[in-house]
Amino acid sequence: MSVVCEMAAPFVANSAVDGEEVVRPFRSHTVTCLKCQARHAAMTRTARELAAMEGVRMAAPADLEWRVMASLEGDLAISRSWNRPMAWAAAFVSMAAAVVIWRLKPRRV
Amino acid sequence: MGNPTDPGQVERNREQELIARAQKGDRSAFAVLLREHQDEVYTLARRLVGDPHMASDVSQEALIRAWRALPRFRGDARLSTWLYRITVNTAWTHKERARKHQGTSIDEHLDIAAPVDAGHPEVAGEILELRGRLRLALDRLPDPQREVVVLKDIYGWSHAEIAESMGISVTAAKVRLHRARARLAKDLEETA
Repeated sequence: MSVVCEMAAPFVANSAVDGEEVVRPFRSHTVTCLKCQARHAAMTRTARELAAMEGVRMAAPADLEWRVMASLEGDLAISRSWNRPMAWAAAFVSMAAAVVIWRLKPRRV
Repeated sequence: MGNPTDPGQVERNREQELIARAQKGDRSAFAVLLREHQDEVYTLARRLVGDPHMASDVSQEALIRAWRALPRFRGDARLSTWLYRITVNTAWTHKERARKHQGTSIDEHLDIAAPVDAGHPEVAGEILELRGRLRLALDRLPDPQREVVVLKDIYGWSHAEIAESMGISVTAAKVRLHRARARLAKDLEETA
């Protein structure tokens, strides 16, 4: 195995996966090197198997849907639990603003 | 507007209707979408993080994030593509969190094999053997390298999409992929 084979390896792999020619500096070497051609063929098979994986589905855990929907219920419960404190806070802020405005209003002597 | 009798178009219309309802807060519509896409989300999560328990947590969080972000989904991409992006980001966050708290553990996991239609039993055996070695080689890749291989070579994302979802430059994504493929090839060669 030559140093050139090792340098060419990533480019051979890329070429096999992308279905393009090996980049120029290593092209002529790959054409004549049996080792690199074997690597190219192996990586082509690998790329085919990787692409085939897209269609393979693993079943999600049976309780995933329940867990997600339960969390959404929790979200709603939290937002509902915030309704009352938020209303009180808004009322308090409005009253405070009204007092400040009343105090700032110029009075007639 | 597509052909209304085309089964694919009918399916797309049905999904769009469910999305529109879910965007208005209809949880039963979201539950239907969830049922239809949870396997895809879980499969991607499992490939990205390896560990089945973490993949389950990633899927749960990704789907909750999807519900919260759904009002902002404009339908420019397919729902599955949009969900994939959320899953990638969620997986990334989970792994960062795991790295901070403990060393990540990647369990040995078994992929459900795609049906092998090779005609001859010996060829089918070779393919199954290659798939087994490939899964292990993918697991042995460092996380960032595995992510680019999964997204590019399995899901066919562009370099730009990978770069955007991982928060890196396109050049960095290309370099990472280049290294990952070389490592994968070497690993497979050594275990052949």
